[in-house]
Amino acid sequence: MPSHLNVDTKYWTLTDEIPNPPVERDIKTWIIGNPSDPLWDIDVLPLTYTNSRWSAFVVDVPGDARQRLCPNPPLTIWDGEDAELVEYWYVNHLNTMLGPYLEFGVTISATHTDSKGNTWKAGYYPYMYLTSDSAVDAGRVLGFPKKMAYIRVTEHGGEKGDDYFGYSMTRNGYLLTAQQGKYDDAPVKPPYFYGKTDWGKFNMKVITRPDVASSEWQLTYLPSKLPPAFNVEGHRFQIKNELTRTASGDAIDWFAQATPFDNMGAEVKVNEVKGLISFTFDLIIPPAEVVWSETYERPASYRGYATPYQYGLRQQFPIHQGA
Amino acid sequence: MGKQANEYSYPWLEEGEVPPLPLDRDRIHIISQGVADPVFDYDIVPLTYTESRWMAFVVEADEANLKAVIPDPVELHDPILEFWYVIHRNTMLGPYMEFGVTASSTVKGSDGQVWKGGYYPYMYLSNDSPIFAGREPFGFPKKAAYIAAFEHGTNDNYFNMTMERRGYVFHSANGRYSDKPTPHKPTFYGKTDWGRLNYRITTHPSVSNSIHQVTYLGSELPPQFGTGHRFQLDPSSVRTATGEDVRAWYLAGTPFDFMGGSLGNVTCHGLISFTFNLIIPPASIVWEKTVERAESDFGDLLYSTPYKYTMRHRFMTPYYPGA
Repeated sequence: MPSHLNVDTKYWTLTDEIPNPPVERDIKTWIIGNPSDPLWDIDVLPLTYTNSRWSAFVVDVPGDARQRLCPNPPLTIWDGEDAELVEYWYVNHLNTMLGPYLEFGVTISATHTDSKGNTWKAGYYPYMYLTSDSAVDAGRVLGFPKKMAYIRVTEHGGEKGDDYFGYSMTRNGYLLTAQQGKYDDAPVKPPYFYGKTDWGKFNMKVITRPDVASSEWQLTYLPSKLPPAFNVEGHRFQIKNELTRTASGDAIDWFAQATPFDNMGAEVKVNEVKGLISFTFDLIIPPAEVVWSETYERPASYRGYATPYQYGLRQQFPIHQGA
Repeated sequence: MGKQANEYSYPWLEEGEVPPLPLDRDRIHIISQGVADPVFDYDIVPLTYTESRWMAFVVEADEANLKAVIPDPVELHDPILEFWYVIHRNTMLGPYMEFGVTASSTVKGSDGQVWKGGYYPYMYLSNDSPIFAGREPFGFPKKAAYIAAFEHGTNDNYFNMTMERRGYVFHSANGRYSDKPTPHKPTFYGKTDWGRLNYRITTHPSVSNSIHQVTYLGSELPPQFGTGHRFQLDPSSVRTATGEDVRAWYLAGTPFDFMGGSLGNVTCHGLISFTFNLIIPPASIVWEKTVERAESDFGDLLYSTPYKYTMRHRFMTPYYPGA
């Protein structure tokens, strides 16, 4: 006789750590699909982080490359002090409401001015990669351009036990970028938005209809100061300064390339790697505001780019077994 | 140290192997974020599949349990489910593994018409692009998981499948094909008037509202692809096993994935496997409702305590497998 076992208990309900599935709750508490078992749920909110480790390479990128990555309209690149400095960052998230994960992103200083003359200043993310499905999806709701990738983050060795560093990111069989080196604790000038509470974060969300007849672009804005309900004064990034380490550009080995699946390595033109700033922080991510939107309609005859049943370079790579 | 290189070339672009860069296109040709380098791009349209291998356990669940996981306005038709694994070898999204549960269901649309289809309460995939290409425009309830599915041995007589997420195996089965017929088949099998139903939720970045939609994918091919079912099954590839042939079966709910605990004590009636080609056309919206949230509703969303992490927030740091 075969052995068939169905474990039909819900042992995790022995404590009240996990909300009931959305189908058993008021519909106002359903945020994403699926109603029986969403990819993430209200136990993610408020979305807080503790002792995350941020490692930001500061790179000098020419203005034309920065503007190409910031869609205009509605964005204009920052043309003030330290405009050329772009953040190229890895994060090791140890404790978050979405669980632990690794993350990578690029941040460019940009502004948006609406028809009434209101101006928003923020770091705009053209690229982001993470190792966790829930964190990718929760971010994409706010407009973050998240994909998944294989990411490595290491600090180790030396007199202080964390003097050496190594970072890399790989996707679909290609190395996208890699860095290694040793902290020399030399001063490194950060991008302009660092520490400024009047600079938030921009993302461009795209919502496409199920029939692909149109896509709405929404420029979303996350302020750096928290809404009053959070009862936290100051920046929503709470940095633990005693754990900051830095490295000069001369202390960093650096590699980046574009791949058929990811164009970042060719589009982020690097005049100079200025240095690395690593720090530990706590964080809260609040809801975002939509400060601009536009809808692009497609004709009924729209057919996309592919030829049925013919698979090109971007459709062939080693099969994934999953996370 | 200080050795640095940036490789800016795009040989595949110059040779026409990939579509023009998103940065160089009209915005109607961008269907997802990030707008500089989307997680799925317009070279997936039209979305076709070749030589995929479908391995579907025929499962009977308690009707009350099933009704409890299916949201209004979707109504359960009968308790015979498809519990399917797929090896996708050639697709416009690249190769990937997939799992899903399909329940024969109906929906009375906003116009009073009754739509019949297989409704998906659970889906898992091994790769990011098909997860978000399924979730965002269509509403497929896709999550990422580790998925293994094999047929092996003499004449590929033996089969085995396993799925794991965040340290928990939540389904596994193995056995040997006898090629005896299964005693039941899902109602929708082979019927061109039964499509597929998904429940899509799109939440505004401010969380001030969520748009709920039931989307419908017809089973008949769109006119430009000819006639017949959009699943093109190879009859010579069909293998079957009865419930007795399924040597071992394990199903359990986990703190991260409720499927096993919610479906309860199911009966496995057998397995039907076949090879097929597939087209996924755009979907239509057959039911829609917008749920607005007032300021007073936000309290119900904030389930967690800031900076306190529970059992759902703690698991091994995931590493995306696509290295």
